[in-house]
Amino acid sequence: MTLTTTNRRNFLSGTGAMALSLKFGTVGAASHTQQYRRWEDIMRNKWTWDRVVRGSRGLNCTGHCAFNIYVRNGIVWREEQQGEYGYQGEDTPDFGPRGCQKGLRQSKYMYGKQRVLYPMKRAGERGEGKWIRISWDDALTEVADKFLDIVTEDGPESITYAMGTAMILKRGGFAGLFRFANITGVVIPETFAGVGDLPVGANMTIGHPLPGDSMPAVFKSRTCIIWACNPAATRIPDAHFFWEARYNGTEIICISPDFSPTALRSSKWVNVEPGTDAALALGMVHTMIAEDLIDWDYVREQTDMPFLVRADNQKFLRESDLQEGGREDGFYFWDEASQQVVAAPGTGFVNPFGPPQPEKEPESLLLEGITPAVEGTWIVETVAGPVEVTTVFAFVKQEMENYTPEKVADITGVSADVTRYVARKFSQQGPGMIYAGYRANKWLHGDLILRSWLLMCALTGNTGREGGGVQTTQLSKADGIFAYVFAGLGPRLRIAALSVWDYSKAGGKENNERVYGKEYAEHVEKHYQQALQKRWLPDYSRKPWRMALMAGHNPASWRSTGEAWRESMMSEVELLVAMTPDMSSTALSCDIVLPIAHHYEIQDMTMEGRTPYVQVIDQAVPPLGEALPDWKAQRALIKKISERAKERGIAPIQDNMFGQPIERDYATAYEQFTMNGQIEEPTQLVEFMLENSVGIPNTSWEEFSKKGIIRVDDSDNVQFGPKSAYNYETLASTRDKHPWKTLTGRQQFYLDQDWFLSEGEAMPVYKGPMSNKGFGVRMIMGHARHGVHSWTRDDSLLLSLQRGEPDIYINPDDAAARGIEDGDLIRIYNDFGDFVAMAHVSPGLQPNTMFMYHGWDPMMFRGRKNFSSVISTNGLLKPVQMVGDYGHLRYQTPDFVPNQTYHDCTVEYERYQGDA
Amino acid sequence: MTQKQVAMVIDLNKCIGCQACTAACKSLWTDEPGQEYMLWNNVETKPGPGYPRYWEEGGGGWNEDGTALKAGVLPPKEDHGEEIPLNFDAVYFEGTEKRLQQEWPMGKGANWDEDTSSGEYPNNYHFYLPRLCNHCTKPACLEACPVRAIYKREEDGIVLVDQDKCQGFRECNKACPYDKVYFNYVQGKSQKCIFCFPRLEEGVAPACARQCPGRLRFVGFLEDENGPIDKLVNQWKVALPLHPEFGTEANVYYVPPILPPKFDEEGNFVDEDDPRVPMEYLRSLFGPAVDQALITMHEEMERKQAGKESELMDLLIAREWKSLFNIPDVKVA
Repeated sequence: MTLTTTNRRNFLSGTGAMALSLKFGTVGAASHTQQYRRWEDIMRNKWTWDRVVRGSRGLNCTGHCAFNIYVRNGIVWREEQQGEYGYQGEDTPDFGPRGCQKGLRQSKYMYGKQRVLYPMKRAGERGEGKWIRISWDDALTEVADKFLDIVTEDGPESITYAMGTAMILKRGGFAGLFRFANITGVVIPETFAGVGDLPVGANMTIGHPLPGDSMPAVFKSRTCIIWACNPAATRIPDAHFFWEARYNGTEIICISPDFSPTALRSSKWVNVEPGTDAALALGMVHTMIAEDLIDWDYVREQTDMPFLVRADNQKFLRESDLQEGGREDGFYFWDEASQQVVAAPGTGFVNPFGPPQPEKEPESLLLEGITPAVEGTWIVETVAGPVEVTTVFAFVKQEMENYTPEKVADITGVSADVTRYVARKFSQQGPGMIYAGYRANKWLHGDLILRSWLLMCALTGNTGREGGGVQTTQLSKADGIFAYVFAGLGPRLRIAALSVWDYSKAGGKENNERVYGKEYAEHVEKHYQQALQKRWLPDYSRKPWRMALMAGHNPASWRSTGEAWRESMMSEVELLVAMTPDMSSTALSCDIVLPIAHHYEIQDMTMEGRTPYVQVIDQAVPPLGEALPDWKAQRALIKKISERAKERGIAPIQDNMFGQPIERDYATAYEQFTMNGQIEEPTQLVEFMLENSVGIPNTSWEEFSKKGIIRVDDSDNVQFGPKSAYNYETLASTRDKHPWKTLTGRQQFYLDQDWFLSEGEAMPVYKGPMSNKGFGVRMIMGHARHGVHSWTRDDSLLLSLQRGEPDIYINPDDAAARGIEDGDLIRIYNDFGDFVAMAHVSPGLQPNTMFMYHGWDPMMFRGRKNFSSVISTNGLLKPVQMVGDYGHLRYQTPDFVPNQTYHDCTVEYERYQGDA
Repeated sequence: MTQKQVAMVIDLNKCIGCQACTAACKSLWTDEPGQEYMLWNNVETKPGPGYPRYWEEGGGGWNEDGTALKAGVLPPKEDHGEEIPLNFDAVYFEGTEKRLQQEWPMGKGANWDEDTSSGEYPNNYHFYLPRLCNHCTKPACLEACPVRAIYKREEDGIVLVDQDKCQGFRECNKACPYDKVYFNYVQGKSQKCIFCFPRLEEGVAPACARQCPGRLRFVGFLEDENGPIDKLVNQWKVALPLHPEFGTEANVYYVPPILPPKFDEEGNFVDEDDPRVPMEYLRSLFGPAVDQALITMHEEMERKQAGKESELMDLLIAREWKSLFNIPDVKVA
């Protein structure tokens, strides 16, 4: 057969046009033009498949990339990004081909020897690795009986169902876990603040913790500060938007202590000292005020800067000051036009979970002729006599005198000129963005960093602006999920803040005493006890956990104070059950391990993060061994609980939620779980969730699995609209003028609550990081490039593309001073613990710092001790994060709970002298 | 004489070193026995010894006037690292070992020096360099093969080792100055990147390019006038071959890296005349043409900063992902 090159191509285009066609052997090869070369056909054959299936990730990875999964002879051989997202929006780059090296390893990892293939029961000591194989029925019976013993003896509060990171993104599996908990009353530990990721400072300021737009917003910014964040390693599918923006004229400024993969790609690198970010931000605020780079109209309308504050007690001037019986959430301006005190519109915060409120006219932030003064002092006649008042802005301006760029240089190591340069760029070049991720929150005073960033953005009118503002992440609405979780039951979930649990159960107070001193420990303890007394914090630690179900979860890897945590948590629980696809240090420590399917073996859906898409997870092959998909495993367990409850004649138990008595009937738990047979299969659950979600076009499973990707409604712009499936709170206030969901109805930079005042944190200030006395090296950590949290850190290829074992970056001068060379093993230690890792010497590290990517499992370290052994921070709760009864500030997962601290510790290191 | 030459432009200002290309290539082509150490595509931190270690010092390629091959040495297998299984069974299921680790010591592997910077803090420097076979116009491997097992396809210029003809003399391994031909010790054959010709024949870009989440690899034919390759290589002249002095006329081109400015003694930014990556080092990689390429890049970046149009920048931004691939019949893979 002889065809010209052109003809051959035309011929091929006809055979290969179908998007998901099977490729019929070697049609192309037979037509080869120049010379028949038999061996080429072998390679062509390697690129043929029986089936191509639409899939995505089921790990806690906010990429949720669309993949095609290639199946031949019933085996997944490889995957490739689907990539076809299509047109994104005017002038911005599109999303293709989202994916990363971890995603591209799943076809191999799923067949790895770490897979759990059948139910196992411990045969030796916990953690010893000796097992006997048991049947699913035996395993479920043992778990169900223990479950029923405990709920009848001590109530469901004594059981925890730990929802691990891998569960969050499989919406069906996640919904199943939450429905299980809603039915049974077991405690779900929340993991957002538990891993120190919760942007509490954002919630304090704007009433929700996660401001963020669709990723192409980066392309719309003109100055984009990437701050305490390393997207080149941690947001691989999204990172291209930054460098494309750089080519488009956006100045990308990376503020990071180390010369990170992101720093080296940026227009500018600012090498701040670790943990001093708030000082740097406030230095920029100082510049903005000093050089009048402020968007005053925005500030007057959108922030509490013009709100009046009493000089005598530093409290807001309230309606109750001016009228007997006046409101506590009515606030005032000084109106320059009428030269008098006028009430600010749209204030007050209504707790959506509180008692019902009378209907009110929808209020607006529009000033309607009022011109609020931003500076000045006035005398106001209150019910208790005349009082001097001034504005929040006047307070802030005065405070900022402590943060001249010169003073800030001494704290941060950043030159005053560089601070001013960034402040001016940020204010004057068009939209200014602070792209942040989560890392800042892992500092004890991370809330102050967030509040300082938001202040920069507010003064310059950038919050809510297209291409501007602080970008943490974007969470989709969960209405579809909770339609299932609550169906027929209403909300009766127990969600515990892990930070609080750890504080009381894993020796937080004792750790504080030991590491940070008695005085500090007592300060925290006093506030903690008061918060409990005031019922600001629920105390889920009253009853010890007797049983733990851990799904998609490897907490033994990532808890702060790792060893101590493992000791206190894992040793006291009577029955530990892991539900997991893969072994890990956590599963190894369990009594029963149940095999869960890999995400190429399940039917589910995912949406998360910063794309306008919903993504199918379809089943490419049946689960390996006896593994069950997440939802089916939950169904199997609850079915067994029901069966055993009936057989044992267990009557419904009386429980109490939010002060209301409720009944929990375990004998009918299975019927409740399936909504009386309405939802029997994962695909039915997916369809139910799609149907009950705002902003997602209603789609059948069949169509969804064929398409792979669905675009959400109202997502044409980089900021999601009100009808989209993603949150729109920021735009609701800045564009549509709805009051912010804060006490003042504004971006609130002044919090006049007593604890904020007594802690000196009523407004954004800088407080330095905590240290371990006598240890001068700061260990910085961040999400891993070659792992998804604690998962896939043991992939053989990715490990070979690192150093084959955990490594930690150190500065060459520091290394030389300690007689350490690249590749040496070093012992990292402080007064709390130690661990061993390989020295990776690089001048990209600031002196007296080390950098380690997180997620390395303790199993990969000598003595099974990873970095968490030196992280002494689990008792570091901030008083101001325990506050309640203050408008928007009240315990509410996942918006406002005390954030777990991870970064506030220091170490020393030396050459490791032990056995290799 | 080839009718057309396929080529790739790799934009080093977009590469984040994620190794997605490496993983994509690995699971498609090199998961057979004897291929554990092979990365037809790899990404290495530069400056640094790379993969295989110190490959730039191994000789090979053509002499100065392009008339004869220069001597080259065989890169030792251990200088490549390899994918090593972990002791999962022993630790997790048998309880006979405590620490989870590779079954045998890895040595210094393919990406050992990931993010190992050069110079001194805070004016240190490094960047990522993805590498694959350059499908050279004057392939030294082809010239060196004693049994004529290596051929360059007329229709697209892809250089291939015919696995039926290869007898494992390894002359190509020595001759390739980029050390991009590998020897399969199990099969006794030399093997290398095939530029995903089975995909290309169907209008699908090579896996390393199509699966690059950084969107930094342009694929097309050199001869396609006003195609992205022609524009970047011939018109704007910002894409340069690696080590042109090797004389093989490589068909993979690189847009040189521009790193953030250095700091002076006071901690203020130094201007671009004294770039963070020393020019001397960049010239050693890309030859003297890198000076003008960087001037052009800076000029065009400044145009965009000033709010002006720039064809070059729009080309490199590649708003539409598929615009990276100027090959016929692009379709869903």
